[in-house]
Amino acid sequence: MPDHKDIIPPEITKDRGSLHPINHMKDSIMSLLVSFGFEIVDGPEIETEEFNFDMLNIKKSHPARQMHDTFYIENKSNLLRTHTSPVQIRGMLEKKPPLAFISGGKVYRKDDDATHLPMFHQVEGIYVDENVSFAQLKDLIYKIIYSLFGEDVELRFRPSYFPFTEPSAEVDILSKEGKWLEILGCGVVNPIVLENCNIDSNKYSGLAFGLGIERIAMLKHGVTDIREFYKSNLDFLSQFK
Amino acid sequence: MKIAYSHLSQYIKENPTIEQISDSLFQLGHEHEIDSGIFDMEFTPNRGDCLSLNGLLRDLSVFYTVDFNQEIYMEKLEDLQIDFENLSESICSQISFLKLEIDQVPETYKNALDNYFTDLALNKNNFFTDVSNYLSYETGQPTHCYDANKMGGKLLFHEIERNEEFETLFDKKITLTGKNAVFSLNDNVINLAGIVGGNSTSCSTKTKTVIVECAFFQPEAIIGKSLKYDIQSEASHKFERGVDPECHEKVLRRFIKLIGEHTNIKEMSIISYKFKDNPIHQLPVNVQKINQIIGINITENEYLNYLSKLQFDIEKDIIKVPSFRSDVKTQNDLAEEVARVMGYNNIPKSEISIPKNEKTNYKDIENKLRFFLLDHGFYEVINSPFEKFESEDSIKVDNPLDSNRKFLRTSITNSLVANLLYNEKRQKDSVKLFEISDIYSSKKNSIHKKRKLSIVASGRIGLNYKDFSKRIDKKYLIKLFKEISLNMTFDIKTLPRDSLNTKIKNEIVSMEIDIDNFSDDVLNYKKLSKPPIKFNKYKPISELPSSYTDISYSIKDFSKVQELESLLLNYQDSFIKQVYVFDYFQNEKKEEIKIGFRFIFQSNVTTMTSDQIELIYNKIIDDSIKIEGVEVPGI
Repeated sequence: MPDHKDIIPPEITKDRGSLHPINHMKDSIMSLLVSFGFEIVDGPEIETEEFNFDMLNIKKSHPARQMHDTFYIENKSNLLRTHTSPVQIRGMLEKKPPLAFISGGKVYRKDDDATHLPMFHQVEGIYVDENVSFAQLKDLIYKIIYSLFGEDVELRFRPSYFPFTEPSAEVDILSKEGKWLEILGCGVVNPIVLENCNIDSNKYSGLAFGLGIERIAMLKHGVTDIREFYKSNLDFLSQFK
Repeated sequence: MKIAYSHLSQYIKENPTIEQISDSLFQLGHEHEIDSGIFDMEFTPNRGDCLSLNGLLRDLSVFYTVDFNQEIYMEKLEDLQIDFENLSESICSQISFLKLEIDQVPETYKNALDNYFTDLALNKNNFFTDVSNYLSYETGQPTHCYDANKMGGKLLFHEIERNEEFETLFDKKITLTGKNAVFSLNDNVINLAGIVGGNSTSCSTKTKTVIVECAFFQPEAIIGKSLKYDIQSEASHKFERGVDPECHEKVLRRFIKLIGEHTNIKEMSIISYKFKDNPIHQLPVNVQKINQIIGINITENEYLNYLSKLQFDIEKDIIKVPSFRSDVKTQNDLAEEVARVMGYNNIPKSEISIPKNEKTNYKDIENKLRFFLLDHGFYEVINSPFEKFESEDSIKVDNPLDSNRKFLRTSITNSLVANLLYNEKRQKDSVKLFEISDIYSSKKNSIHKKRKLSIVASGRIGLNYKDFSKRIDKKYLIKLFKEISLNMTFDIKTLPRDSLNTKIKNEIVSMEIDIDNFSDDVLNYKKLSKPPIKFNKYKPISELPSSYTDISYSIKDFSKVQELESLLLNYQDSFIKQVYVFDYFQNEKKEEIKIGFRFIFQSNVTTMTSDQIELIYNKIIDDSIKIEGVEVPGI
């Protein structure tokens, strides 16, 4: 029989908590982008129409501005930001190029079903310098996607439309099941947006991109129902330690 | 929008397969699905010009030889005498009317008109409306047909702002509210412009004399109306995205041609009003700029060749944008045209090098707090900011999703209490939650933002034998936070359970504090967890109830403690969800160790019965008492 001193009592297992998987994914993507040279900037979730739409070349007639798409507050005096792009507008108004910003956080749109929530998360980035091109944007997007999904992933660029970028693209990756999955939107910054921010669009050009965090987290973790992220169920959250 | 492959391919000389056209459409940015030879197209909102057979053919002409051999009526037309006035020229800058009388309404359709209804399996309405619908499909220009015999009096186009009843040609009664662009006849609204016509002047299967209206409406005047009045309208979809203001005569002459293919036309006359010239966008030829935007090196000839195929006119050094391309205004727009034609995936990438960013201290205190809380078993949650009840200074949402989400929360605590109850209902006896979020309030007509940390906890301090019997209380939280911020005082509250509809009695403690209140002391905290390196694959969770069983062992041979632990903590059974040591006592006098294990059982498919649990329990006992010197008292 061993001496009492030799007995090792059971380990006192500290029940470690977990980061929320959406915040963890957001932090991971932002760390990756910081390693590429981007600076993190923050902005308010309550925005003006000017910063959320006008400065981004989203015209008064754009469907996104309608009451059925955007949450307005306090008699339409303000709104809940529909994307994190206004943060970049604020950044561009404060600093002169070259500049490389990312912003991440909650955004709001008037949706609520199995695949859309009224609140979700984005990370968006912008890089403005002389001679920034679509070809460089492609290089950056390849780097981001390869870092997130591995270098053997197949991706494609599709023409798309965003008022604040021109040309605009959406990027898909090919799933193991052979299905193309939309991952992010990107484009060359529309010179109108640069001029709105007092940046000489003849001298400077820019690239911009935006990722939906829930979308990436669902793919990485294999979560099929977006609503699971926001039930605060400990059985769910404890899987992401 | 649905477009038949056969309708496209009949105009393309190369006779491409449906797969080839599909690939071309994807390259051009036109997403679609294919079902039984029909493309179900989804266009980006800037490409209203593609919402037609011809629009799509125009884009496809960069890859194929397209022959638009759609005949139009070429003869001179009489001037139409119509009593019309436009009081809102800024909304309707251009409008044409065609009056046409036929001998007989045809019983059957032929050629393109017949193919349209047959191939797309569409329901027919009446002859003139059917031709109008087909023309909208072919050309992208919606037209509206009035029964000429119902059109006596003065026709007025204007924007009204008054409540007025209006019955659509689908027999739907709506009340017009706010500003609406309408056509009125003798002061009665007969057409909600660009959205839907009215019942009072609509054509029927007997109509032989028609007035066809072909107009350009500013998208801003149309947008949102179909949704507002819950009217499914293809016309509004097109007007909202912009139609070609210069196409009216061609469209109406095509209308005549189609009618003439089916029946004898007795009389026809036309009138066109142009209240304002539509600007022709012109841009200088600048291939260097295009190359710089995309990051390529094409020649000017290649560049202009691409644009010519897309029907851009090039005169000397000027590019004239066609009237149907209202989306093209800048060199970047032209660059996108070139990139689409080349194919985004064919554009080579070019190495990007962003100067390194010097700032690295982003949200250091906040992140330190997050990992401190993880170290102590707290789970980070994220809640929606919307709540039902108004509180002092809360911000009201003008257009909430429902009455339960009318206000923005001014505190995180209520959300966390709801999360706590949710987990307690799922038999969780130790719940420790935190959330960090921006909280907004309205004071004196200005909006204030605070970044707050909120904590709610209740139940056992931990699920290990040292903490199992200890309950979370105010002292626990005070002691915890002293560890990370010695010099701060914390306002920790015990929340009453009276109104919470729960039978559980455990104390609920909470704290909500501005992140700005924490000092840099927090940064000295060293014992930090690391974020997970991998992104774990999620295993679907069960919503069925769980059960637990405790097994207490007596061990005389102390060398067997670790063997027992190893066996039970790694015990394999699909119904065992969790195992931990909840009790441990070494009795030196009796030379005995007592150790208790808690087993939590849960199935993903059925509520577990006591028999099922007993079966597993017995197997665990059998396996564990095989270890020499290990006993379960009472067995």
